[in-house]
Amino acid sequence: MTRTTRTTALVLALTGALALSACGGGGFEEEGASSAPASASGPANLTMLIASSGDAETNAVKAAADAWAQKSGNKVTVTVASDMNQQLAQGFASGKPADVFYMDASRFADYAKNGSLYPYADQLSDNSDFYEPLRQTFTYEGKQYCAPKDFSTLALEINTDSWEKAGLTDADVPTTWDQLEAVSKKLTTKDQVGLGIGVGIDRLGAFVVQNGGWWLSDDGKSASADTPAVTDALEYVQRNVKAGNFKMSNQLDSGWGGEAFGTGKAAMTIEGNWIKGAVKNDYPDLKYKTVELPAGPAGKGTLQFTQCWGVASDSKAQAQAVDLVKSLTTVDQQMAFADAFGVMPSRQSAADQYKSKFPEDAPFIAGGEYGHGPINAPGMEQVVADLNSKLESFGNANLPQVLEGFDTNAGSALGQ
Amino acid sequence: MSDLGPADVVTPQVRAEATATMGTRLPPAAGGSSRVHRSGRGKKLAVYLALVAFSVVYIYPFVVQVSTSLKTNGDAVANPLGIVPDPLTTAAFQRLAETDFPLWFTNSVIVTVCVTIGRVFFNSLAGYALARLKFRGRDAVFTAILAVLAVPGIVLLIPKFLVLNYLGIYNTYPALIVPLLVDAAGVFIMKQFFESIPPSVEEAARIDGASTFRIFWSVVLPMARPAVITLTILSFQGSWNELAHFIIATNDPNLFTLTRGVGQLTSGGLGSGNQYPISMAAALLMTIPSAIIFAVFQRYFTQGANAGAEKG
Amino acid sequence: MSTADTVAERGTTAGTGSGRAPRRRRRGDGQRQSTAGWLFVTPTLVVLGLFLVIPILMAIWVSFTDWTGRGSPFSSRVGFVGTENYQALLTEQGLSRQDFMISLRNTFYYVVGVVPLQTVLALGLAVIVNQRFLKGRTFFRTAFYFPSVVSSVAISLVFLFLFTGTGAVNQFLGIFGIDGPTWFSDPRGLIHLAGQGLGLWSIDAPPGALADHQVMSLSLWDWFSGPSVALSAIMLQVVWTTAGTFMLMFLAALQDLPTEVEEAALVDGANRWQRFRAVTVPHLRPTILLVVTLGVIGTWQVFDQMYVMTQGGPAKTTLTPAYLSYTAAFGQQQWGQGAAMAFLLFVLIFVLTTFQRFVLRDKDEAAAKKARRAQQRAAKKKEATA
Repeated sequence: MTRTTRTTALVLALTGALALSACGGGGFEEEGASSAPASASGPANLTMLIASSGDAETNAVKAAADAWAQKSGNKVTVTVASDMNQQLAQGFASGKPADVFYMDASRFADYAKNGSLYPYADQLSDNSDFYEPLRQTFTYEGKQYCAPKDFSTLALEINTDSWEKAGLTDADVPTTWDQLEAVSKKLTTKDQVGLGIGVGIDRLGAFVVQNGGWWLSDDGKSASADTPAVTDALEYVQRNVKAGNFKMSNQLDSGWGGEAFGTGKAAMTIEGNWIKGAVKNDYPDLKYKTVELPAGPAGKGTLQFTQCWGVASDSKAQAQAVDLVKSLTTVDQQMAFADAFGVMPSRQSAADQYKSKFPEDAPFIAGGEYGHGPINAPGMEQVVADLNSKLESFGNANLPQVLEGFDTNAGSALGQ
Repeated sequence: MSDLGPADVVTPQVRAEATATMGTRLPPAAGGSSRVHRSGRGKKLAVYLALVAFSVVYIYPFVVQVSTSLKTNGDAVANPLGIVPDPLTTAAFQRLAETDFPLWFTNSVIVTVCVTIGRVFFNSLAGYALARLKFRGRDAVFTAILAVLAVPGIVLLIPKFLVLNYLGIYNTYPALIVPLLVDAAGVFIMKQFFESIPPSVEEAARIDGASTFRIFWSVVLPMARPAVITLTILSFQGSWNELAHFIIATNDPNLFTLTRGVGQLTSGGLGSGNQYPISMAAALLMTIPSAIIFAVFQRYFTQGANAGAEKG
Repeated sequence: MSTADTVAERGTTAGTGSGRAPRRRRRGDGQRQSTAGWLFVTPTLVVLGLFLVIPILMAIWVSFTDWTGRGSPFSSRVGFVGTENYQALLTEQGLSRQDFMISLRNTFYYVVGVVPLQTVLALGLAVIVNQRFLKGRTFFRTAFYFPSVVSSVAISLVFLFLFTGTGAVNQFLGIFGIDGPTWFSDPRGLIHLAGQGLGLWSIDAPPGALADHQVMSLSLWDWFSGPSVALSAIMLQVVWTTAGTFMLMFLAALQDLPTEVEEAALVDGANRWQRFRAVTVPHLRPTILLVVTLGVIGTWQVFDQMYVMTQGGPAKTTLTPAYLSYTAAFGQQQWGQGAAMAFLLFVLIFVLTTFQRFVLRDKDEAAAKKARRAQQRAAKKKEATA
């Protein structure tokens, strides 16, 4: 009765295959206790996960990685994340993260805290060349973990056609809050609002800084949003939103300030230097200029955004990964990236080169001196997300209540 | 041993019986009713008006989808209601071809084919055993499978990730496929169907000395054609449209399926700004295979919906 | 297993070899069936065990730990925290509970909106499509059912486009002079809007009595917001998509409706609406309850639309327990809390469906009785008139 045998064999084989895949377990790996960099013997096969702003960035990073691979005899696979946060988190949880990846400043502390990041900054010979505030951003409990990749700041973009149509001249470029309010009012027409602002504290925070306030205390250990410096700044914006001089991007049916600006729904917006690429691609006919943000009662202020080159503590080839990062952060390479997709070098020694090459970016670079980094205490992500969600309908948000709530939530998150 | 071809055993009567239990509803006898005359023109008109209104609501979105995929972004934003693209362009499809869309499509096909074949095979095996084979613990097994039906799938997202990872198959095709291979509802449908087939059919084959698997494979399974097709459709639909499982089973872009890949087109996968023609083109392309299957097996879809209902 | 197998093997071999020994064959057959039976169900059991039972057990463990997604959840470095994760969601003042409650509120409004709407729409479509005089019935049935077979991702993309601020829906509304909202970025609740429309309150300055009272980390004002405009758009989409499936169920039931009963009612001189109420609806009651049960189970699990379209926004008004549990684990590395949320959702669905099954069983019998009686009455009437 060979048929029975065959049947049995078939079913057994199928079950066996399932069971085998079951027993081949061990996806989770315990982290090694040694702190010496893991070095793959022979040519290493590195993976790199990036959040790309577009083809220009992807191709530039790939080219740089390939150049290093050629020179060092290793292999690098560059992967573009479509959802960076989630793909990074799943990678860490599965014990198979990318070896090298973009690490955003706002997420850095959480990953440093749970041990996902390999601290390699002490292996960089010229570490002090990176801007001090950027290095500080990637420091957790006294230890700098990674090398700042680049940085960007917020500035004021002005649609020059609208500007001229409203009868404004170069002399009218706002340098104070009152002037900003006045020009916004003049620029506002039936189809266009004076100033369109992206939703959330990553834009509103600039006003807070200009008013001398911040969400957390200077040491980052306690919350300080429910203070006059913060409240007054937000109330200034809210008053103008209610008056119709400013509008938030979600009131303009736009995903971000650049979209409202590009589609002509706002005559001015507050964005970083990434807007250059977006305008070039999506709104090539738009004529605009960039100026520094107007100063508030406490002087000039803007926000600084940055990422670093993270290396995973689960990487099997940490030594090679660090070597790759070194090659990606040379002055020449940073300038090549700047050329390709408009990011600003994180090295002080590249500043002059950058300024002479991109004079129109002077307002962004100027922000490097007085910009404020993001909230980067661990456990704050949920709290910040909550604050952002409550500021979404900004025009009618109950500011004192929202800020008080933030302080409570932040207090318990920081106290942990 | 005589070779038992499926056609020899399946009598028309059995077929009819089987089909009936699958819930095929014969269309109500055409014409004849005196009510037709009674119902006035007004009623007819009202019904037709309602139908036309609903049809527009149901068909227009698909029309918009097709026409927008052939528009430029500016045209799409300016004339979202317009049906005729001006200018007509296939730029969206070209741009889509440059993304990972072809890869996602291939992955979806691989996963869907594997899942569908596996699910139909394993579910009918189990359904047959539970319906026909006498073995100790059968009732317990059936109860266990019924209990599984009560677990809402979405709460298993985190747990399934943990297990895939523990088994070391996270970020592999098996992770995408194996957990979807069995579904309790499918077992249930097949069991019910097999129970409706008269045992005499198998008896004959058994006396001839055919093995259990052979009886299952060449005698009973061919008779279960309607149920198998229904299950095939349900499996296809289930795996082609699945999203949540694919999110947690991989973070490797090389393993992304259509739902996963296209789902993220909206959240910045295309860079800044909304690119409606591209997302409409993507939606259109992932709808076409469903539409083809639907057109071919329409009759069975009706049964599928109701068979799926009976599990509740 | 191998022993039983060989025995079965030998038994059959002998059987074929020597002109059939009935007794041996039967015994061999029994063993063979037993072996085959287990073999046939084994793949199913293995997969269900691996990807259902074990995951649930692992997740139960994780929900009692502070695992952050690093290393194995069973390693000694992972702390057992007891019911802390559950407490954070249910009894402790804080963000976690606030978000969880928001997600429950949203989903409650979502379920209460979607289930009745889709049931009524499905029934309505079924009744219309079931009209005998109708030409092209198949076409209409196909049109209404088709969205059910299309991927929710594809449909979400289409609706995102239809419902943009300057999109097709708002242009259509514009024809009637209605200025449509910016659907997917409008967090205002429908009840809030209705109250404002009636002059009961202003959304910008909610009445203190409601705004100042907190229940489970949310003010009464927030609890009674109704679904946001954004969530309503998703609700419309889901009703539109799923009504087709349920329409088919109603259609099947309608076609089972005994014609004599209807004819008898007709003879009774009942008008169309009375007939529908007295004959059709009781006959459909089991189907209605089935549709409602399936609807409730499905709607509480809503995830895909949130993942593709809104990511929980605007202002958390499309946050659902399923999506929240996913982001807590995969986004914020709070795996314990994510797992705990999944279990609470499981319990909730389980309780709701058990309750509904209980109700359904009673009503089912009642409906059956009622239908029987109606039938008898109809039969008598028929005799009388004949």
